[in-house]
Amino acid sequence: MPLTIFNGSQRGKKSNSKLLIDQFVTGYKTINNEPVSIHYLASTSVVDQQKSFADAECCLIVFPLYTDAMPAIVKAFMEAVFEANIKGPKKVGFIVQSGFRESIHSSFVERYLKKFTIRLGYEYLGTVIKGGIEGIQIMPPSMTKKLFENFRELGSHFAQTGSFKPELVVQMAQPYKLSLASRWFMQLAPSFLKNFYWNSNLKKHKAYSKRFDKPFIN
Amino acid sequence: MTFTTYFNTMKITILNGDSSPDDSDFTKYISQLKKLYIDQGNEVEMFTLSAMNLKYCIGCWTCWWKTPGRCVHKDDGELIFRSVINADFFIFASPLVAGFTTALLKKITDRLIVLLHPYILIKEGEFHHHKRYDTYPEFGLLISRETSTDNEDIQIVEDIYKRLAINFHSRLRFLTITNEHLPEETAYATHHF
Repeated sequence: MPLTIFNGSQRGKKSNSKLLIDQFVTGYKTINNEPVSIHYLASTSVVDQQKSFADAECCLIVFPLYTDAMPAIVKAFMEAVFEANIKGPKKVGFIVQSGFRESIHSSFVERYLKKFTIRLGYEYLGTVIKGGIEGIQIMPPSMTKKLFENFRELGSHFAQTGSFKPELVVQMAQPYKLSLASRWFMQLAPSFLKNFYWNSNLKKHKAYSKRFDKPFIN
Repeated sequence: MTFTTYFNTMKITILNGDSSPDDSDFTKYISQLKKLYIDQGNEVEMFTLSAMNLKYCIGCWTCWWKTPGRCVHKDDGELIFRSVINADFFIFASPLVAGFTTALLKKITDRLIVLLHPYILIKEGEFHHHKRYDTYPEFGLLISRETSTDNEDIQIVEDIYKRLAINFHSRLRFLTITNEHLPEETAYATHHF
């Protein structure tokens, strides 16, 4: 069954979602060499989104978690599909990635995604949740090796079975909540260590001295 | 006893995410609610999002590491950010569409991260972002049912907005369904919780 993927990141081709999709498709193509159709919601018109969705048989919607749910462009896409009452793909699955490591943050929108899919009368393939994704573009390969291997395996298994590998879905969603050790580390670690990623970027953009600005107070 | 002594008056901001607000029952409800709030002595700012110039969050982090606290977009978003952070209370208002609040409301919700700080802290045993401002207003959620809406849908929406409240250092004070509660009941719930 041909696969269609919708990338729901506003960063489009520069997104972390794209990196994960690339790995997934690489794994997928080791088993199934049919072309995989990939669409970027941030740069596609509503009409084209509806057409691509209507043409799809099996589709995955991949997006970053924005304020505890799907980004607005993904919700707009869902509304377009819903309101047009498209009898499109028979199967729909999701991959939700977030900056925070724990999957609890994405677990609430997962319930919505399942309900949305069933409401439209499609088969729900499940939702893969992966946290700790922000920053992967600047991580050395050693730090993303396992992550990318998992996404390639997810893709190859999907090509073989048309479903997400259950054990991998469970594994990738770990931790659901922070371990005690992680919480202690965050409580005890010096601020320069905890905030290194943000501070280095603030300094890079010459904005470090303004980091505590409150521009909208009356 | 007058309204103003009976109720604590507040600055209230309403974000109306109705995509088709002209003559809709939902927007009529909000207009009635706004009038009640004003009659109670509250100061009310209402934003009809469909009539505003609002761009999507593009995930650029400009608001966190280039111009801290300010969004890269120079559109009507700043009016909303200022109103929300200076409010005592604000309302996310939207009919349910496909089981959730509208993309229009989500568009501005995504951009409210401008009001937070990128630094991470542990809250309720989870990672969350630090406050940028000293205080954050509590909020209410005003929705209307679709014909297909069931109680599970309402629970899902409520749970997601409760999560948003944790991230926003705030609290969901109430969820009101406009098809089931009068504006007077919502106005009452705003002050009595």
